[in-house]
Order: sequence, then structure tokens, then C-alpha cells
Amino acid sequence: MQQLFEQITQQMPIVFRSLNQGFLQTLRLFFVTLLGALPLGLVISFGSMSRFKPLKWLTRIFVGIIRGTPLMIQLLIFFYFPGLVLKNNIWGSGEAGRFTAASIAFIINYACYFSEIYRGGIQGIPVGQEEAGLVLGMKPAQIFFKVKLLQMIKRIVPPISNEIITLVKDTSLARIIALQEIIWAGQAFMKGSQGISGAIWPLFFTGVYYLVWNGVLSWLLGKLEKKMDYFR
Amino acid sequence: MKKLLVVLMALMMAFTMVTAVAEEASDKQYVIDKGVLVVGITDFAPMDYKDENGEWIGFDADLARAFAAKLGVNVEFVEIDWDNKILELDGKAVDCIWNGMTLTDAVMTAMECSNPYMNNAQVVVVPAAKADQYQTVESLAGLAFAAEAGSAGEAEVTALGLNCTPVATQADALMEVASGTSDAAVIDALMAAAMIGEGTNYADLTYTVSLNSEEYGVGFRKGSDLAAELNAFLVEAAADGSLQAIAEAYLVQAALINQQ
Repeated sequence: MQQLFEQITQQMPIVFRSLNQGFLQTLRLFFVTLLGALPLGLVISFGSMSRFKPLKWLTRIFVGIIRGTPLMIQLLIFFYFPGLVLKNNIWGSGEAGRFTAASIAFIINYACYFSEIYRGGIQGIPVGQEEAGLVLGMKPAQIFFKVKLLQMIKRIVPPISNEIITLVKDTSLARIIALQEIIWAGQAFMKGSQGISGAIWPLFFTGVYYLVWNGVLSWLLGKLEKKMDYFR
Repeated sequence: MKKLLVVLMALMMAFTMVTAVAEEASDKQYVIDKGVLVVGITDFAPMDYKDENGEWIGFDADLARAFAAKLGVNVEFVEIDWDNKILELDGKAVDCIWNGMTLTDAVMTAMECSNPYMNNAQVVVVPAAKADQYQTVESLAGLAFAAEAGSAGEAEVTALGLNCTPVATQADALMEVASGTSDAAVIDALMAAAMIGEGTNYADLTYTVSLNSEEYGVGFRKGSDLAAELNAFLVEAAADGSLQAIAEAYLVQAALINQQ
């Protein structure tokens, strides 16, 4: 036991440097996904509520496909399909290309989930409000931005928070296309890296990073929810 | 909003068409035009691993650098998921797989492979305390094995008709033995030498029987002219002694295959 403890203490500096690097990549993917998916989800939700039938059905089928297939498969397809079928790897080589491909797959996937949450938020607002706006001579865009949007945001904070916390953990799926996020960094010490091999604790320790980050997020999102309290 | 969507969709389609360019005639020319040879590797000492500065070194890494220099291009090392190596190659995410790759039938069919440059074997790993009982292939009957899925080791175990659980990596196979969930594992001899025994994290494991002997080679895209190019380079490097010098730097000279 003593020996094991000493060994771990010795390995710590190397392992933590590597895990920190991996976690930075995890965070980067997390923020890029949120930045892209939150607005794109709104665009998709408009598509799925459109009065123009073909657009409405196309969007709903697209959302159905993305929500109905595993993100892991989507990552593989996004990354390898261009090179395999179009004979041209559009992502570029190296870690940067993998990051771009992973970001786009994550943004599209999460935008589809967000779009359904938005749709629920928008359609849950009583029709009477829209009618009142129209009677007062407001344009549909005005009604959306001035009347509905803030109420919608209040309603969707809890389900979006849920998705955001799931997103933190889902970033680990990107290791399937060898994006070097924190799980990859932890696993590397099992296979052998930087002179440490067969060490299992780094992989388990990555859980602490997720836990701390999700704790911070839950706290922030809780605060946001409280702030929205003045709407009924 | 509707118009915006239509424009977006049209753009996406145009993008797809632009990117679907014709295939290049020669893979060598493709790499030279690009100016960089992208090498797919995993963290696998002593073939490819990182030094203190985060630079990739190792027998394969140094050799790949020398080969790229001869082509007159830069070299870029990319860590890949070993399960996806053929996808990585065909998808042009990398230009070659150069990472102590065993030349199995599956690999030879899917890739354009160079001549073998190094010897290896698949060895049986067991707890050191029980090593005496398992010194022959016959004594292995009835053991529960673990081996990396799709690896040469798994193929050997299955060919012998032994009970085998496929796991994700060779390291996982070792962990199975260490934790007692499997009786034995089959992994590369070069890896076994580096990862188990005295002074490692698996001090109470050892390896006994060699199930086969096999050879390492470099994989290129099917039909690539780079494989022939590398064969010529290996002969040159063997003739001027630089191949041996690199091998000696990583203590693998005994496993080197003579190039003619």
C-alpha cells in the first residue's frame, strides 16, 4: 500500500500535466459546441415550426435522424466520410482537423436537441399573447423578440441546463476520432506514455475533473434560474 | 428566415461539390505537393513515444523523419485510434501507418505495405507465480485468454482454438491478467519486454511461450507508390548504416531485419 502511494505521488506531476492539457481540449470543445449549438438550435426550431410544409418536414426528418443515431457514429461519419467518399479530407491533418470535425458534429447534434427544447418553450406560450400582439399592430418578429423570447428563455433554462451537463460528459465521445481530450489523456497511461505504463488511477481520476466542472456549472445555472424568477 | 435557410442549404451543396475533387494519380506526388507526410501513430515505446519536450521520438518516429527528409517534405505525427487505422488511411487523415504494425493478412489486404523491417512475436503473459506451469503451447489449454481485438495476438489464440476475450487495447489485456479476470494475455514481445516484469507496474507478471514470429512493416494507402519508395529508402539506409544507428539508439538492433 505504502509503495503504491509513493509510486502515485511520483507519477502525479507528469499525469496532471497531461490531464490538464486534455481537460483544456475538453473545455474548448464544450464552449465551442455551446456557442454554435445555442443559436443554431433556434434556427432549426424555426424550421421545424415553419408554415412552409416541405421545410418543416425536412427539418423534422433531419432532427429525427440526428436524435435517433448515436453521436459516436455521427463523429465517425463527419470525420471520415469526406476523405473516404469524396476523396478529399476537408478537415486538414493533425489535431486541429479532428477538433474542427468534432466541433461540427457536436454543434449539429446538440442544436437538434436544443431546437426541440426551444420549440417546447415557444409553443408553450399561450396563443392569446400572440393574438394580443397582432391586434396591437405588432409584426411577428416584434412579437417574438419583445413578447415571447424572454418568457421562452425562462421556461427552457431547466431542460437546457440538463443538456449542458450531459454535454460536459459527452465530450468524451470525441476520443473515437482520436481527439485528445481528458479521457484519452487518462487512458494513455494504461497503454504506456511518458514512461508510465499500466497506471489505472489517471483514468479514474478524470472523473474528478468532470465532477468539479459540472459542480461549477450547476451552481451558475442555478443562479441563472433564480435570476429569471421575476417572470411567472 | 426561410430565404436564409434556402441560401444556407444551397451553400452546403456547393461546398460538397467543390470538395469532391478528382483523385490524384500518384500518392507520392500528392504528399510532395502537400509538403508534409502525415504519419499515423500511437503512443508505443520504443517505436513511437514522447520525450520530455513533447516531441515524438522512437525507432519508427526517427525513421519516418529520415524518410520524409528524403522525400523533401515535413513530417507530422498524429495519434490515432488503432482500431480505425484503415479508415484514417483511406480517409486521407494520415498518409501512412508507421507504428510497429504487424503485417497480418488483414493489414496486407487493406494497405500497400512496405517490406518488413523488424521481427516481433506474440507472447503469452501469465502471473509470475504460475509461470512454471505454462512453458509449452500444450499447457495453455483451458486457460481464459484476453487479447486486443483485431490484433495478431487474438488471431493466434483463436487459431489454437483457445478461449479468448477480445479487449480494447493490449494494456487492457494485461490489466485482465493482473486483476485475475483472465488467466493469461497475448501481446507483442516488444511491448511485453517494456511493460511487465521487475521495475514496472506489472512486476508480478511474466511472459512465457511465443505463439508465432511475425514482422513489422509500414502501411500506405492501397496502390500507393510510396511503399516502393520506402523499400528503396530502407535498402539505402541499411547500406550506409543509418538504419542500424537508429535501431541502436533505441536498443532494438537485435530485432532488425536485413534489407537488400
